[in-house]
Amino acid sequence: MSWFQKKATGSDEPAKSGPAPRAAKGIKISTLLAQEAVLFPAEGRDKGAVLEELVAAVCRRAGAADPAPFLAKVLEREQGISTTLDTGLSLPHARMDGIDGVLAGMAVLKTPIPDPNQADVQIRVVFLFFSPNRQEAFPVHLQILRGISSLFQPALIDQLTAASGPSAALELIRKVEA
Amino acid sequence: MTEVVVLTTAMLSFISFWRAAAIVLCDMASTAWYIGGIVETAIGPAAPWMIIAVLLCAAPVLALYVEASGMFVRGGVYKVVRESMGGTLAKISVSALMFDYVLTGAISSVSAGQYLAGLVNTAFPRLHIHWSVDPKSFSVVFALAVILYFWRQNVRGIEESSDKAVKIMSLVTVMGAVVFAWSAYTVWIRGLRWPPHALHFTKESLGWLAPLSGTAGLAKLGLLIAFGHAFLGMSGLETLAQVYREMEAPKLPNLKRAALLIFFYALILTGTVSVLAVGLIPDAVRAGYSDNLLSGLAMSMAGPHALKLVLQAFVVVVGVVILSGAVNTSIMGANGVLNRLAEDGIFVDWFRGLHPRYGTTNRMINLFVLLQVATVILCRGDVYLLGEAYAFGVIWSFVFKAAAVFVLRFKDKSKREWKVPLNLTVGGVEWPIGLALIFLLLLAVGVVNLATKKVATVSGVAFTAAFFALFSVSERLNRRAHAKDEEHREKFNLRRAEDLRIAGERIQRPTRVLVAVRDPNNLYHLNKALEGHDSETQDLVVFTSRIRKGLALVDETVQMDSDEQKLFTKVIEAAEKHGKTVTPMLVVSNEPFYAISQAAQAVGASEVVFGVSAKLSTDAQLERLAMTWGSLQTDKQPVRFRILGPGVEHAVDL
Repeated sequence: MSWFQKKATGSDEPAKSGPAPRAAKGIKISTLLAQEAVLFPAEGRDKGAVLEELVAAVCRRAGAADPAPFLAKVLEREQGISTTLDTGLSLPHARMDGIDGVLAGMAVLKTPIPDPNQADVQIRVVFLFFSPNRQEAFPVHLQILRGISSLFQPALIDQLTAASGPSAALELIRKVEA
Repeated sequence: MTEVVVLTTAMLSFISFWRAAAIVLCDMASTAWYIGGIVETAIGPAAPWMIIAVLLCAAPVLALYVEASGMFVRGGVYKVVRESMGGTLAKISVSALMFDYVLTGAISSVSAGQYLAGLVNTAFPRLHIHWSVDPKSFSVVFALAVILYFWRQNVRGIEESSDKAVKIMSLVTVMGAVVFAWSAYTVWIRGLRWPPHALHFTKESLGWLAPLSGTAGLAKLGLLIAFGHAFLGMSGLETLAQVYREMEAPKLPNLKRAALLIFFYALILTGTVSVLAVGLIPDAVRAGYSDNLLSGLAMSMAGPHALKLVLQAFVVVVGVVILSGAVNTSIMGANGVLNRLAEDGIFVDWFRGLHPRYGTTNRMINLFVLLQVATVILCRGDVYLLGEAYAFGVIWSFVFKAAAVFVLRFKDKSKREWKVPLNLTVGGVEWPIGLALIFLLLLAVGVVNLATKKVATVSGVAFTAAFFALFSVSERLNRRAHAKDEEHREKFNLRRAEDLRIAGERIQRPTRVLVAVRDPNNLYHLNKALEGHDSETQDLVVFTSRIRKGLALVDETVQMDSDEQKLFTKVIEAAEKHGKTVTPMLVVSNEPFYAISQAAQAVGASEVVFGVSAKLSTDAQLERLAMTWGSLQTDKQPVRFRILGPGVEHAVDL
């Protein structure tokens, strides 16, 4: 399988992360998130700025000293096929060498921002995650993509954009997922 | 936003080998009702031996068809001859074949009318009804009614007509069993007079060779002349090649089964009744039954007269049914042949148009039926005249086909699914001895028939020349109209709907697989999916999306563009090659992955199959699919995504 043939190229210290990939089937998306990695960015930012802020928060929480390779990887992925859905959910993601679990963060945009690649789609929530770049982790990566897309339906997105802050947003996700 | 267009065509469901055999037998076995009388008139009471010889020779000819069909799913004499020896000879061979198809319908329906008229004229006096019918006029009227009935059936589609063929052959089998059992009883009571071996030619049956009557040279040709007069017993085999396209998987094994079934059935039924007719009907009586020999056989059985009348009625009813079935087979066979010609650009586009409701090529059917109707009217109910003209097309189409398959052995060295036996390898070159012998025998019969069967030669050559001229002119006109586009494109009926619920109407099996296609040159994954597909338990939806943005999405018309037509033509060809049913679907959407996910969820697919993309990595394809699948998923049904390509096979469960 092509995605099973990819080899880890870096030898960075493994960052602290979320659940192990093998446990991710049927995973609850809320368990990937922590309050420190849920942001409500200020108005006027574009998608690039939001991603930068979100990557920094995720790396900070994971204890990764340098967010630059994470940002570079996610921006590289953003150059490819769109990660934004019609629902207003943007799902930037990347598979990283040197991590052994899933790292995730979320940005809720009180004022929607246009998707740089699809002018007619407005982004309202950005859910960013990194998963290990290992062959056995790819099915989990796909499960997470499917799970997030399934969970973040327009009704939840409406509620999130009306939420008072990270704690309330997390509580909403847990409630819908329960 | 999506809009759905479901594609329909007449040829997307497949038939079993016994259905295919029944279609062919409706023509081939129906000759049992008239071949004995016609051949005896030509060569004398030794006719049954020649009929049996011809039926035995059907085995190598069937083998020829199996080898050719293994090479060309949409085969038949036209395709095989064209690939082997070029378009001109192909058009000549198929023109001759059309003559056979026209006559099959005419002779069968007129013969059925003769049987019915015979029964009426025998039974009415016993029922104190003082009324009789003129057999010839009656048979013409009856023949026209039968042809028009099967014209309508064929316009409605092959599945329905193959069902009729099976019912007809079931009835014939019951009748055969009754006749054989009663004949056995009669033979036990009276004994059987075996047909003589001596041939007695008439001046008419020697044709242009009549002046040589009594010479040693003619005596040497006697067997071939007699064989040629009985050759109409092999009519109908070309239809096997035509229905191969619709034969279900496993295609070639099923074709072999059908060929064996046809061979033994025709040999036992036609061969045995021919022997019994000469053996049980007294010579003095038999001449009166030359147009309805099996009625004579029924009336010559041992037993009470009233019971024999009942048997005659049964034989006539079954005869009428199977002879009518032969009309059906001839229409189906001719339609298949004309379709192959149309695919090759011989016919102008108008002829290939599909019936708006049934999806059949009704204009071709109309043209052919008109010719049959004209032939029936012109022959004025004379079965012997039709019998004399018959077999010209059969023998010459076989000659061309045998030559073509022989030449292909040297011209196309690709691996054959099956070969006619008797192949000798000398010095690294394989010599198809079996094929050569078949060709030489057929050629000899064809040449002798040219000299002896005047009616067949004159009418056959004239008809063939006329059809050849028609095909050539039509081809030239069509080439002018499509100078730049010579590739065959299937015609499709399109049905438009506002959402994907329409897809569910056509999906009934418990397991559903959706195969996404886009590039007509990249259908590896479709072929792999078809290989493992079980049409009994699975529905296979072949899907493509037409991507349009903004207003173009709203204004979309229900017309296929050239690329889509090419794509679905390849899809249909792949389905035919595997003999598996598919449901083609085209969705107009603004995003391909949404379209695939929506379609897969609408049909309840448990598996979605893709090819390897030239533009996107498999990882990127799967990531986008996982996202769109999740955003649209309304239930927790698991799905398997598979990406298949040469040397590549990925599967992931979500």
